[in-house]
Amino acid sequence: MGMGKKLSQIDRRIIFLVIGLAVALPLLFPIGLQIRVSEPAQRMYKAIDQLPPGSKVLISFDYDPTTMPELYPMNIALVRHCFAKDLKVIGMALWPTGVPLGEEAFEIAAKDYGKSYGQDYVNLGYKAGDIVLISNLGKSIPQQFPIDFRGTPLEELPIMKGVRSLKNIDLVIDLSAGFPGIVEWTMIAGGRHHVKVGGGCTAVSAPSYYPYLQSKQIVGLLGGMKGAAEYETLMNARGAAAGGMDAQSIAHLVIILFIFIGNLFMFLGNKGKA
Amino acid sequence: MSEKLRRKGRGCRKGGLIPLAAFIFFLFLWDGAWAEDLDTLPPSPPREVTAFDTPNDAGGSITLTWRKSTDDGTGAGDVTAYIILRAERKEGPYKEITKLPAGAVRYEDTTTKDGVDYFYKVSVSDGVNISESPPSQAVHSKAQWFNFKRLNMLLAGFILSLGIVYFISRARAGKELYIRKIAGLDAVNEAVGRATEMGRKVFFIPGILDLDDVQTIAGLSILGQVAKLTAEYGTKLEVPVCRSVVMVTARETVKEAYLDSGHPDAYNDEIVHYLTDDQFGYAAGVDGLMLREKPAAIFYQGAFYAESLILAETGFSVGAIQIAGTAMPSQLPFFITACDYTLIGEELFAASAYLSREPRALGSIKGQDLGKAIILFILGLGVVLETLGITGFSQLFTTQ
Amino acid sequence: MADTIGIWVAALLTLFIFSFLYKDNPLYKMAEHLFIGVSAGYWVSYLYQNVFKPNLYNPLFHQGKLLLIIPLILGLMMVMRLFPKIGWISRWSIAFIVGITSGYYLITYLQTNAVDQVRASLLNFSQINNIILVVGVLSGLIYFFFSAEHRGVLGGTAKLGIWFLMVAFGASFGYTVMARISLLIGRMQFLLGDWLGLLH
Repeated sequence: MGMGKKLSQIDRRIIFLVIGLAVALPLLFPIGLQIRVSEPAQRMYKAIDQLPPGSKVLISFDYDPTTMPELYPMNIALVRHCFAKDLKVIGMALWPTGVPLGEEAFEIAAKDYGKSYGQDYVNLGYKAGDIVLISNLGKSIPQQFPIDFRGTPLEELPIMKGVRSLKNIDLVIDLSAGFPGIVEWTMIAGGRHHVKVGGGCTAVSAPSYYPYLQSKQIVGLLGGMKGAAEYETLMNARGAAAGGMDAQSIAHLVIILFIFIGNLFMFLGNKGKA
Repeated sequence: MSEKLRRKGRGCRKGGLIPLAAFIFFLFLWDGAWAEDLDTLPPSPPREVTAFDTPNDAGGSITLTWRKSTDDGTGAGDVTAYIILRAERKEGPYKEITKLPAGAVRYEDTTTKDGVDYFYKVSVSDGVNISESPPSQAVHSKAQWFNFKRLNMLLAGFILSLGIVYFISRARAGKELYIRKIAGLDAVNEAVGRATEMGRKVFFIPGILDLDDVQTIAGLSILGQVAKLTAEYGTKLEVPVCRSVVMVTARETVKEAYLDSGHPDAYNDEIVHYLTDDQFGYAAGVDGLMLREKPAAIFYQGAFYAESLILAETGFSVGAIQIAGTAMPSQLPFFITACDYTLIGEELFAASAYLSREPRALGSIKGQDLGKAIILFILGLGVVLETLGITGFSQLFTTQ
Repeated sequence: MADTIGIWVAALLTLFIFSFLYKDNPLYKMAEHLFIGVSAGYWVSYLYQNVFKPNLYNPLFHQGKLLLIIPLILGLMMVMRLFPKIGWISRWSIAFIVGITSGYYLITYLQTNAVDQVRASLLNFSQINNIILVVGVLSGLIYFFFSAEHRGVLGGTAKLGIWFLMVAFGASFGYTVMARISLLIGRMQFLLGDWLGLLH
């Protein structure tokens, strides 16, 4: 039996084990590989960094626990950046499962920067309606969310003073794990109401959002855990994402090696047959 | 020099008559705090405050414009904020509606009630003093019937719709509409033929979405064609589905195909059977069927999500010829790597129209082709003009 | 204490699911069924509390917004799908949804995904990146042009288009692998860090 055939019939559990080790070992014994910041992440950072203090930023937590490793670290990093720049952050969600995750990220970042609820940030919670909701936010935010996630009427919250609709929002950041997500925000908030939109998404969907970046329909984009790690690097605050990058790189190397070896032996095998 | 600076200057001269005051003045100047402490004069008010109904909107909005205070950026340069005040009567009372940073010259009040007259004042603050503009004229908001800024979108939508309607009507009138043959379709015969030779089953998976998804409908059209072939060749067909409505429709489709090909006796309801609505439960069920039945040909035609790779990989492992078709961009890479032929995106709809010759499907494909031809022309022309340095053309496509 | 129990339950369930990589087994099946059951229950209660109650029940029955009787009727018609004999009634509700959604999406999609993209592709040929982008868009569009046979120049361009598509799919595949590894890293961080306390 040729080597190529042997390899093609290899017990897949061996591959699972090798990948498992390639992920676990770098987590236990970090190497500290350098993280290069990509342009889309740089643009996202700049979009927030350029906002004057007091500007209103709306973050929509459109993800769930299954995509947490990718989106949660960027959620924390983005909120931290907003707080560091003294921006007012309004949180909400088109995914019900995103509300507690966003709330947790708020609490962590608020503790670090001494920010207070209602004054510097607010969580409006979840509301059904997807694109129709985004469209209605363009007309009135208080009408869609008369009370916040904790049950406080919006007019009692100092942060909501002067915030009537999306027109009063300086930047929308969407943490997007699918539908509804960054495409819907781009179409409705960006396309119809002319609000700047940026955000982060899972790595699976990142390639399909790059056209919006190229056409400047979105101001910046963080793609997957790598995007989150880049943002943490820009913020000089190593978090869960940056901590996972060694494992990510080593696992990729192993996969590339598998692909290379597999193709090499297949190529040689075919040549032998010919 | 602004009015405020001149007034400030006069104030200083008056104080300068007494040497002691001059000394204190000097001390304050040294400290850098004199301006704040001596600033009892208000900044000059904003000028030419104009309020008008925001054009091209659905109502509920009034736009305000004004010329900056002469102390904003120039003059005393100490303006800190503009405050927008609103009242329903000219004499007031005026209520603050928002505060804007220095440099602002425009504000859109999106909290108005249509038909109600409003009066606006813009006051300016230097942090200590405030001065107000005279009130604006009465203005009320109203909805416009037409947003002229989106004329280009109307035109684009109109042309595309007209094209589709035109081609559908042509197809309905029995005119022959040409659609090129899709490469992957040739493989359908080959796959069913192979299954016949090997005496094994043909599997057809119509995606995991319901009948309200156009991909499922396109998939079922292709199922009709596959079922015709299996009926002709006497090959066994199996269609596991994960939606009850899809099951009913798929049964009708397969029954009709068997009837058309003259083998109604070969049809039974068991060919199309329901597994479960749960995505991964369905994937696990189909996987099990594949491993047990070892089909020689598998078709995946419709909408797929993360189960695509699980299914295609299992199909590959049992050695089946696999033909996929989906318009889910994120799943296409998996099908392309794991299947022998893949209908990419719109090819799925084109293939379905090609096979079914259904006027609406054919007309839609032709109408969209017209749209693509127009885009190709615009791109070609636009790129040439841009390269020549003529930028006006691309402005036509700026959307609002 | 509650946290510790939670972490242990989550860790064990993660290991049960991972056990499928070795082979299918009752522990995996138990975890899978538990997940499906819990998520279904969670969604039912969430949809009731966050969609049905605030958007229909409360406004209609407590605030007297009678116009909401229309969506209530449409909703009830949708439920008719459960009864095969009168299941056809649900088609009217579906028609309503499809109609509204198409109307809503048509122009918005056309703007965001067609006209805005066309505008962004009107680039001058002064940079190599611009040339690649424009050639990619043009050849990709030609590949999806079904009204003419792919022969001659058209055929060559379409072939170039499919190359561009394959490169895009390759990139997409790469990103997906990255995403899956990220998810594994997330679980490993949980197991090694939160559960076993081996990460610092």
